[in-house]
Amino acid sequence: MIVLEWRFLTIAPCDAAEPWQLGSQDAATPMMQGIIDLHHDIFFFLILILVFVSRILVRALWHFHYKKNPIPQRIVHGTTIEILRTIFPSIIPMFIAIPSFALLYSMDEVVVDPAITIKAIGHQWYRTYEYSDYNSSDEQSLTFDSYTIPEDDPELGQSRLLEVDNRVVVPAKTHLRIIVTPADVPHSWAVPSSGVKCDAVPGRLNQTSISVQREGVYYGQCSEICGTNHAFTPIVVEAVSRKDYGSRVSNQLIPQTNQTGEA
Amino acid sequence: MAEVDSSKPPPTLSEQYLLKEKEEKLDMGTKPAEELEVKDPANATSEEVATEENPVVANESSGDPSDEATSNAGESVAESTQAAAEENSETAEQDDSGDKEVEETPEIKIETAPADFRFPTTNQTRHCFTRYIEYHRCVAAKGEGAPECDKFAKYYRALCPGEWVDRWNEQRENGTFPGPL
Repeated sequence: MIVLEWRFLTIAPCDAAEPWQLGSQDAATPMMQGIIDLHHDIFFFLILILVFVSRILVRALWHFHYKKNPIPQRIVHGTTIEILRTIFPSIIPMFIAIPSFALLYSMDEVVVDPAITIKAIGHQWYRTYEYSDYNSSDEQSLTFDSYTIPEDDPELGQSRLLEVDNRVVVPAKTHLRIIVTPADVPHSWAVPSSGVKCDAVPGRLNQTSISVQREGVYYGQCSEICGTNHAFTPIVVEAVSRKDYGSRVSNQLIPQTNQTGEA
Repeated sequence: MAEVDSSKPPPTLSEQYLLKEKEEKLDMGTKPAEELEVKDPANATSEEVATEENPVVANESSGDPSDEATSNAGESVAESTQAAAEENSETAEQDDSGDKEVEETPEIKIETAPADFRFPTTNQTRHCFTRYIEYHRCVAAKGEGAPECDKFAKYYRALCPGEWVDRWNEQRENGTFPGPL
């Protein structure tokens, strides 16, 4: 009963994993939608095959039981069925591979020019985000650190070990380029509802493009063992409307420019 | 640095050609944007005056975004713009409120380094490095502060982590930069 309550009656935040969740989180990007659709498509045929194979298996066990059928027929060859059951299963993976590769390469491809570049830099054990599109010099940049909120600190309604103090604010319905890199050891930048999991490799800049389709707060966690506090480096992406993004950025940028101007 | 500059022109006819071709291509696209950018600073002064009154409100909205994030952000932004508009209309003419809305959009012009067909893969390390080099070669060719080079600066700043740029700047000063400048 308690389990059922957990399963059905939890008021989980919309885009975080919920207790006893079985499926994926709701898609926020077309890519994630594609992944979920592919998963469901494959699962349909997977279950058909499962039912078919278990039927054959159970039927064989049933009919060839030693009590029911003490002297089995001595069939050791059946050319037709052997050809069929070799060819057919080898075609199935091909039909799975076609949509799978199509999706894989479309994830990789940058079709349109991105509108915003965000650099997600992994550290032991926090993340730094740089918004450098609005810089006019090397020194000035919109950079902030994103630390997890400690286990004993979250407020009511916040998810344990998923919240951070500074979220990544991105505009919705905009093509984003995320440049992922660490400053020390390998990390990974993963947001399940955006369909993104990009490893951060030292000395290398990995690019991943997303386009968040709806406003919301999306949670992710580090997905590459990066040290003792690997579990305490979550990712929180907050998608806002373009207008709000503009005012956020300019509000953070204007104090900075004033500071640099004074200094 | 001077040695690098003087030794630059003779061996690099092909390089110069490459540089020019790219600029011509990109100029078509970026010219209107540059004009916008040039317009900004003139108006920006009046906008800064207007926004200096805001920071109290603005900091509140940006200060604790994690707590009451999405719902409050919209409200506080609306409040701040309203407040600013009111202050403007009190202090100055009605034109200012209209001007501010126009200025607000170019100020945070959403634009970044375009996708480059030379670097179509996930690995963008060379993209960043190449843009950095392109900027400094452009500066070497056209002189410090040439407006043609601004876009390269924008590109490499968008792509490279700040730490890398700092390190490379240091290396250039020491003359140990490992790239063709």
